[in-house]
Amino acid sequence: MSGLDPSAVVPPIGDWLLHGSVDDPAVLAATDAMPDYAILPWANVVKIGGQSIIDRGRSAVYPLIEEIASNLERHKMILGTGAGTRARHVYSLAMDLGLPTGVLTVLGTAVAWQNAQMLHYLLARYGIPFIEPEGFSVLPHYLMERGAVVCQGMPPYKLWEQNPPVGRIPPHRTDTGCFLIAEVFGARKMIYVKDEDGLYTADPKKDSNARHIPRIALHELLAHDLNDLVVERAVLEMLQHARHIREIQFVNGLRSGQLTAALDGEPVGTIIFRADEEVA
Amino acid sequence: MPDESNEARHVPSPLMRESLMDKGVIAGTESPVRAILPHANVIKIGGRSIMDRGREALLPLIDEIVANQSQHTLIIGVGAGVRSRHIFAVGLDLGLPTGVLATLSAKSAAQNAYMVSCLLAQHGFVYLEAPFVVQLLPGMLAAARGAVFNGVPPYDLWEHLPAVGKIPPHRTDAGAYLVAEVFGARKMILLKDVDGVYTADPATTADAQLIPRISAGELAARQLPTLPLDRAVLTILGNARLATEVQVVNGLVPGNLTRALNGEQVGTIVHR
Repeated sequence: MSGLDPSAVVPPIGDWLLHGSVDDPAVLAATDAMPDYAILPWANVVKIGGQSIIDRGRSAVYPLIEEIASNLERHKMILGTGAGTRARHVYSLAMDLGLPTGVLTVLGTAVAWQNAQMLHYLLARYGIPFIEPEGFSVLPHYLMERGAVVCQGMPPYKLWEQNPPVGRIPPHRTDTGCFLIAEVFGARKMIYVKDEDGLYTADPKKDSNARHIPRIALHELLAHDLNDLVVERAVLEMLQHARHIREIQFVNGLRSGQLTAALDGEPVGTIIFRADEEVA
Repeated sequence: MPDESNEARHVPSPLMRESLMDKGVIAGTESPVRAILPHANVIKIGGRSIMDRGREALLPLIDEIVANQSQHTLIIGVGAGVRSRHIFAVGLDLGLPTGVLATLSAKSAAQNAYMVSCLLAQHGFVYLEAPFVVQLLPGMLAAARGAVFNGVPPYDLWEHLPAVGKIPPHRTDAGAYLVAEVFGARKMILLKDVDGVYTADPATTADAQLIPRISAGELAARQLPTLPLDRAVLTILGNARLATEVQVVNGLVPGNLTRALNGEQVGTIVHR
């Protein structure tokens, strides 16, 4: 038996791929030159924080639900949820039991799922569905018809999550999962809704000298090598290699109107951007 | 800023209120990991190297797997092969992103895995999709000492972005390795059509030497243009807690799989 005949039906790149190694730098460079089709260029991915928003209950969530509803006519939104305090509890328990990082991801996914379900019920009266990762093929239809969908923010890695270099916490959590949704669909915006006005030089909850950063280049932020960050480090690593997403925005979901302003393209909160020279 | 009535409701835990992005908090979570399936062995049947060759390559290997069933528990991952290369080519030509290519390619590996499970069905092996690996695998291993899974990790649309180009970086060697690591498997064996990792391409270089044992970091540093295993495995192996070795053996040579399962030095061992 042999493989398919590349001369018959395959596009030009096929000669490389059918005969070469996909780890060969020359083959990778050839794929780098291929076009990038934006699948949902008008969609906005909005991540609603777990510990920062949903764990606060209705005082934080109800106003945000109203703000989301008021934007349904104007902006298409993929709403991903964070995990929060129950994930921290189950991570602590599972680590105490000696369970590996992949199992922690399975457990953390369930918490983000719970939060997504609650958000979904609060938005149900507007016809907003909850969709599982396996159901993403219907996502474009709901965005066109209803303006938004709710999904859990964890990437569906399950037991296949990779170990972090240090410690046991899954390195790819809901910030990363939502970022990858934005990137794969070529979305218009990636907005993180948290409980701070964006990025600070230190954790403003713990350090009164922490200063707000309205806009910062990715390479500059990485050069600071901060001890703590507003976003998972994996997001910053992936932003370096992204082909569609050029910036990510962080807004305070406890301040009415910030999400709307971000959706309207205003520079609220903090924007982390890739400077032009970083764009390969 | 929020007032007191707007405080988050916390569940008490050592990580409560902590930033999981804080380096100190992350370092504080370092702790021993327990092997979930310490007696299981993960083996991976190569896509292009074994499956695409058809019965001539695969049936002797199936016989060898069955011959080892009474001695060794085998979790069998299967590679995607040439059909995945073909759909990469079409998808790339259409401008589709890495996450879509990963989702599409996983179906090619699923076809191969399903075929392998059909050949092993009379011995009790079943093909398990990722959600069933999460839930049913131990039961299937207890019943039949073996099961078959899709080598492509279930990253789908959420596949990581490669540093260069658009090919999904986590393919079936990486996916199979991650199964070995999370379960703390006894062995991770990659079955290929070469005797292991060489100092140069043995097809083009006469004095290429087989490397019996090498660290993942050293192998990555050599920057060999082609490797018989996914480059991503070298990176992931660097963070191994339990599965600290990957053995690359020639699955076209009868007896190699058995020797590797019995702990013999055959092929190349890449270690953490």
